[in-house]
Amino acid sequence: MSFLSLIILVLAPSLAALFIANPWLTGDEAETRKLSIGFSAAFFIYSLFFLFKYDFQQGGLQFVQNLRLPPEGSSWIQSMGINFSLGVDGISLILVVLTTFLVMLACIASKNSIVKKFKFYYSMIFILTTAVLGVFTSKDLFLFFLFWELELIPMYFLISIWGSGRKEYSATKFVLYTFTGSIFMLASILAVYFYNHAQTGIFTFDMEALTFHSYNYPLMYELLVFWGFFIGFAVKLPVVPLHTWLPDAHVDAPTPVSMLLAGILLKMGGYGLVRMNLQMLPEAFKILAPVIVILGLINLIYAAIITFAQDDLKKLVAYSSVSHMGIVLIGLGALNTAGVTGAVFQMFAHGVISAGLFMMVGVIYLRTKTRSIKELSGIGQAAPKIFYFSLAIVLASLGLPLFIGFAAEVLAFIGAFTSNVATPVSMQCLTVIAIFGIILTASYLLWMLKRVFFGPVSEKVQNISDLNPGETVVFVSLVLVIAVFGFYPSAITNVFVPTISAIISR
Amino acid sequence: MNLLYDLRYALLPETLLTILILMCCVLTFLTAKKNYIYKVSTAGLVFVLLSCALLPFNSESVAIYGSFVSDAYSILFRFLIVLGSFITLQFAQKYTESFEKSSGEFYVLILTATLGAMFLAGSNDMITLFIALETLSISSFLLTGYTKSDKLSNEASLKYLVIGAASSAVLLYGFSFIYGITGQTNLTAIAEYLSKYSVNLILIISFLLVMGGLCYKIAAVPFHTWTPDIYEGAPVPVTAFLAVVSKMAGFAVIIRVLSQLFASLPVWSFSISIIAIATMTIGNLMAINQTSVRRLMAYSSIAQSGYILTGLAISTTTGIASMIFYLITYLFMNFGTWAAIEIFINKTGKDSIDAFDGLATKQPFVAFGFTICLLSLAGIPITAGFFGKFFLFQSIALAGIQNYFWLLIIALVNTVIAIYYYLRVVAAMILKPAVSDSNKNIVKPSMSLNAVLGITVAAVLLIGIFSAPVYTLSKYSALKVHFAISTPSISQNK
Repeated sequence: MSFLSLIILVLAPSLAALFIANPWLTGDEAETRKLSIGFSAAFFIYSLFFLFKYDFQQGGLQFVQNLRLPPEGSSWIQSMGINFSLGVDGISLILVVLTTFLVMLACIASKNSIVKKFKFYYSMIFILTTAVLGVFTSKDLFLFFLFWELELIPMYFLISIWGSGRKEYSATKFVLYTFTGSIFMLASILAVYFYNHAQTGIFTFDMEALTFHSYNYPLMYELLVFWGFFIGFAVKLPVVPLHTWLPDAHVDAPTPVSMLLAGILLKMGGYGLVRMNLQMLPEAFKILAPVIVILGLINLIYAAIITFAQDDLKKLVAYSSVSHMGIVLIGLGALNTAGVTGAVFQMFAHGVISAGLFMMVGVIYLRTKTRSIKELSGIGQAAPKIFYFSLAIVLASLGLPLFIGFAAEVLAFIGAFTSNVATPVSMQCLTVIAIFGIILTASYLLWMLKRVFFGPVSEKVQNISDLNPGETVVFVSLVLVIAVFGFYPSAITNVFVPTISAIISR
Repeated sequence: MNLLYDLRYALLPETLLTILILMCCVLTFLTAKKNYIYKVSTAGLVFVLLSCALLPFNSESVAIYGSFVSDAYSILFRFLIVLGSFITLQFAQKYTESFEKSSGEFYVLILTATLGAMFLAGSNDMITLFIALETLSISSFLLTGYTKSDKLSNEASLKYLVIGAASSAVLLYGFSFIYGITGQTNLTAIAEYLSKYSVNLILIISFLLVMGGLCYKIAAVPFHTWTPDIYEGAPVPVTAFLAVVSKMAGFAVIIRVLSQLFASLPVWSFSISIIAIATMTIGNLMAINQTSVRRLMAYSSIAQSGYILTGLAISTTTGIASMIFYLITYLFMNFGTWAAIEIFINKTGKDSIDAFDGLATKQPFVAFGFTICLLSLAGIPITAGFFGKFFLFQSIALAGIQNYFWLLIIALVNTVIAIYYYLRVVAAMILKPAVSDSNKNIVKPSMSLNAVLGITVAAVLLIGIFSAPVYTLSKYSALKVHFAISTPSISQNK
């Protein structure tokens, strides 16, 4: 086993969780937090090695690893064709690095917002990390599903114990929605598995084998399987009208958890769409691409319009997440390299930006104890540091050039504009409508900026303190990523473009 | 086939168990010491458990002139039954302390019920089957009403008796038709005869009657109505016994006998699918609004039966293997839940879900174990329950996703409903603030109950991680189940 082992990367966080949860580890909140930051920083650095060692020119799956059980080297559950096999290609690699990065920042951001049951909290964060990393690196469909489900329980506790407001309701809603979605996904997984067995006589959940096969599905069958997967991922992404869990869950979760929810959990949906729907079922995707583009358009515009009516700052940010995920759908529906690259890039960009936005809300809420936009005003004067960082993140979110959001959106829209997918209205028309949707994004974000940060200093804002060092670190790292990769986006896109070209040209 | 040969190679555990029962009977009269019989019966069951391992696992031995068969399938089930009854004894230790003189009978009855269950698992003759079933049932009736002064317990006992007697009659009526058709009581002979027999209405009626009579043991709809009342009224050790051991014996006989005789019937897969769907849906829907944990667990166990039955509807070896795997996991997760409930009831005397508020802060160990078992019942990875469900669904898919599409979809939807009510209990334990107990009884926590909880939780997690060997074992046993061969004119799938 070489130094770079995905199995270690995926399982190490749960070992860290066990270590933190063990009753012999006594320490106060600060010590536990520092320990967790140390762990998560180690995971981040370890994942960076994968990024540096990944052969971009070659692309495809690399670092493939299969777990073999001792006696005769059988796979995990041999008789079912279940294999504990992990591997990363460009798309998963970038999401893996995003995950470890955001988990590290979430641990740093947990100061002050997590005060009770902190040991349980950090162990749950690390179990969540294992689950998400497992989803992004699984090469086996069964394993993918297992990690997908595993993520529910830590998230349930993270929202329902440390959240605020109707936290239990939101947490249960989140679990039920995701679980319902994943049931459809399971049906599709079994359908794919069964069909492969019926055709080849081999029991296997291996994604490669299920993707690159010599047989063709009957069209109706493939479409049904496609919808099963799609519903599973649409709940997670989320796609309107399956999005209603998201505002509740985001608003009631504590700040670091919201950062993780928006930053990486939504990306699981997008990743699944690329990996299963696009890569595994290309024929169905070609037929349904117009539907996906139109769903994306609805996402983008509908969520943006709802945003205008929000008074709760966090809810506003949550709906803006839904809106931004519309761009992912539009990019995927374009079905060309530029579009899909834009979609994947948008997932990365949104991961960083939305984490920043939720951090901004968290920082304000911690100081003023309110999230109501009406009661906030003039933060720019009272706390200039908060203002500068928030400004940068908001501008990135609305797609200002030279920031990371811009590059992603432009790529997605170029892809959509040049796409030759046949839609009822021409693709170009839809793209233009989508670009007008971006104007909505800009207006609600700027309007929010005006009401919250400018104007006279309101009563609640008067005596607030500015950023503390920990928060500054989080903001600086996020803004750095936003600015550097906004200026030089090909540093990111190089990682996954070869993979995407291979998927598209198939 | 002489008697000694039978005893050594087919009936060794049963023989030892019978000796143990007689010993316990005698000891009940001889000694007034409370815990004496508990120790003797626990130690004795360890030997019975070990003796299961001495049976020839790879060959098929037939005993008592063909009326009892000991092969991998029945040995596995008998092992699980003894294991279950061993765990039940650990429950009983605390419970019987409250009975001054009459604690000995309880163990005798549990052991007798176990003997019946073991014979049921290996029976190969309609007469043996019926007698074994009655041995199990009559002991269970007595056990259910063991708390003589408790009205609920008495009511439960009476209900169980009436419904049990009725379903026995139904079963016998079904048997009488089969005897009328074939003139045989030996199941192998009957199966052979039926394979040449063309399907007619009488055979179908007898199938439905036998199925109905046996459904009572596994609490399948529409013979499930006794479950909630009995689970609520009976003493917890007895409830755990009924929920696991009795159900396991029921499944052992349903799987083997029904598939051997009736799997070729045109209504087979349809009627079992309907029963499975109705059982899981009604169980899950009724569980949602329960306020008592015991009633919730009753409906949950009904729903679990429904999931398990889906494996039978598809009549494939993988289906049977998945059922056996699920039953193994079910044993551990259910005993874990009941152990946690018993510890809790001992401590507080309450069984409403609200009473569990804040258990995680008061008794973190119990709350943790209970949570893991509930999540396993709900089918969340990385617990054993997840794999149990997954293997079942996978075997349905492998049997032909087109034929069993609705069965699969409804089973999947049911898992979503189930997660809601299991999470309700978890939420009460972990999220709600602790309420101060006003009537806190000073009860010493029972070591054996804590051990049961710890071991079952460990088993649930270990089977989750290393499911392959357990599945291989299930599959090996499942190979011993023969399906009735269809007559040429009738196709197996409807």
